[in-house]
Amino acid sequence: MDAPSDPRVQAVQAEALYLVNLLLAPGLAFLLLLWLARRHRASANPLTRCHLRQAVTVSLRAGLLLIAVPALVVLTVDLDQPAAWILLLLYVLCCHATLVLLGVLGLSRAIAGQTFVYPLLGSRTW
Amino acid sequence: MKYKSQAVAKPYFIAAIGLFLGQIVFGLIMGLQYVVGDFLFPAIPFNVARMVHTNLLIVWLLFGFMGAAYYLIPEESERELHSPKLALAMFWIFLVAGAATILGYLLVPYASLAKWTGNDLLATMGREFLEQPLPTKIGIVVVALAMLYNLSMTVLRGRKTTINLVMLIGLWGLAIFFLFSFYNPGNLVKDKYYWWWVVHLWVEGVWELIMGAMLAFVLIKVTGVDREVIEKWLYVIIAMALITGLIGTGHHYYWIGAPEYWQWWGSVFSALEPIPFFMMTVFAFNMVNRRRREHPNKAAVLWALGTGVMAFLGAGVWGFLHTLAPVNFYTHGSQITAAHGHMAFYGAYAMVVMTMISYTMPLMRGRAANSRSAQVVEMWSFWLMTVAMVFITLFLTAAGILQIWLQRVAAEPMSFMAAQEQVALFYWMREVAGLVFLIGVLLYIGSFFIKGKSEAATA
Repeated sequence: MDAPSDPRVQAVQAEALYLVNLLLAPGLAFLLLLWLARRHRASANPLTRCHLRQAVTVSLRAGLLLIAVPALVVLTVDLDQPAAWILLLLYVLCCHATLVLLGVLGLSRAIAGQTFVYPLLGSRTW
Repeated sequence: MKYKSQAVAKPYFIAAIGLFLGQIVFGLIMGLQYVVGDFLFPAIPFNVARMVHTNLLIVWLLFGFMGAAYYLIPEESERELHSPKLALAMFWIFLVAGAATILGYLLVPYASLAKWTGNDLLATMGREFLEQPLPTKIGIVVVALAMLYNLSMTVLRGRKTTINLVMLIGLWGLAIFFLFSFYNPGNLVKDKYYWWWVVHLWVEGVWELIMGAMLAFVLIKVTGVDREVIEKWLYVIIAMALITGLIGTGHHYYWIGAPEYWQWWGSVFSALEPIPFFMMTVFAFNMVNRRRREHPNKAAVLWALGTGVMAFLGAGVWGFLHTLAPVNFYTHGSQITAAHGHMAFYGAYAMVVMTMISYTMPLMRGRAANSRSAQVVEMWSFWLMTVAMVFITLFLTAAGILQIWLQRVAAEPMSFMAAQEQVALFYWMREVAGLVFLIGVLLYIGSFFIKGKSEAATA
């Protein structure tokens, strides 16, 4: 008989894919995350549902924060001015680092078998 | 603690933590001098603060490595240390020499210090990280040789394991490569060429062996995973570290006047250098996931996992960022280098020493782990220091990107100081992150004084 599967597996995978999307393979990791979310959308395990929902929602919002907002800045400011670069770099670095740190926190909670709601960005239902 | 003589590690660790605090204080002084140029001038000029900051780093890490070796090697060799008295004598010699050197930097003009300490007999001073006066350098050699004699005799007469052999080879390498600090040719190209044999072959060579051995030792203890599994990982990691790190020295030879082929050799091999660090991350997480027991010292497990991640990010990713010759052509000697240096030293070496301290200190104080409340404070200190270091690195990276663009890429490049003025905001933010780091260090020190119910030591 197979050993019962660890209930944390999908939660850990979801949070790890969220981090890989931010750090190593943007886009590709998000597609894998969507596939994982689709495959386990009807999971009876609240831990799986929670972390999948958080990872997908926050990845989408992170995409907006990291692509749309900088694009808007690039289109509206004069990039020949050092101050424009200071603003852009500061925004991208702080925003990206905060998203990564929240992801690390999410991953730690998943490894510990606990649910997690991303502050401000996360979904309150799952 | 299995052997009484392992207790000699304790003063080494206490000294390491004290010097670590000093390093951070001088880092903050320097950080402020970046934006308030005359802060504490002329009492502590920038060049002196920088020298004290970097030298304290080296000295406290050496104290940490020595303390770790004095704890680890008797346990791995299954016998008492050959001579605990010699180890303690060397501790005091090293501490007095280190303190005298730092006081010399602070109280005496560097040129006078060089004159008074016999630099005219054998000129070794004045080079970054190797600023120590001749007597201090000789003292380091004496302390290292005495330590190696002590540890080698312990291993020779005891059990030989992969961990104690790798540790010992790392320490021998550390001592041997330091001898190049005495070679100071008049030709500047040759001087730089061999200077890297100390600096690079330490941090991207033999220190990785020491780090791997320390991490493996702690992981065996806290996870209960089979020694055979951990030792196989260690073999592969150190092989990769040496394969990539030795020829990877070439990434320092791009612009110093060495032959052009180093741009290829340096680029290719140093591009592979993140591999051993990535393996260390996988190694640490894999071992903790496969753990056979729940060790009561959660803080030590956290430090071990953090070491893997931060070493990979700081040494691996941030190193790779600017290691290829065509990239380094623009980034060389900019704040990108400072960003890499900060996270790499913290992630790889400061954290592995704190992993070892976190695991061994409770045992040397007669308990398996500190009380829950002490561990909570220690884990807070871990997160404060680590998050602060991430932000220090990011702000320095941002400063570096802007510095390179303004100073080296823009159609009308700015002068160095004009570019520095433009990036001042990032320096202020780095200073704030540095203050958070200091709070982390103070909490870390405070965690040693928190009492509470702790589990008795079994080994």
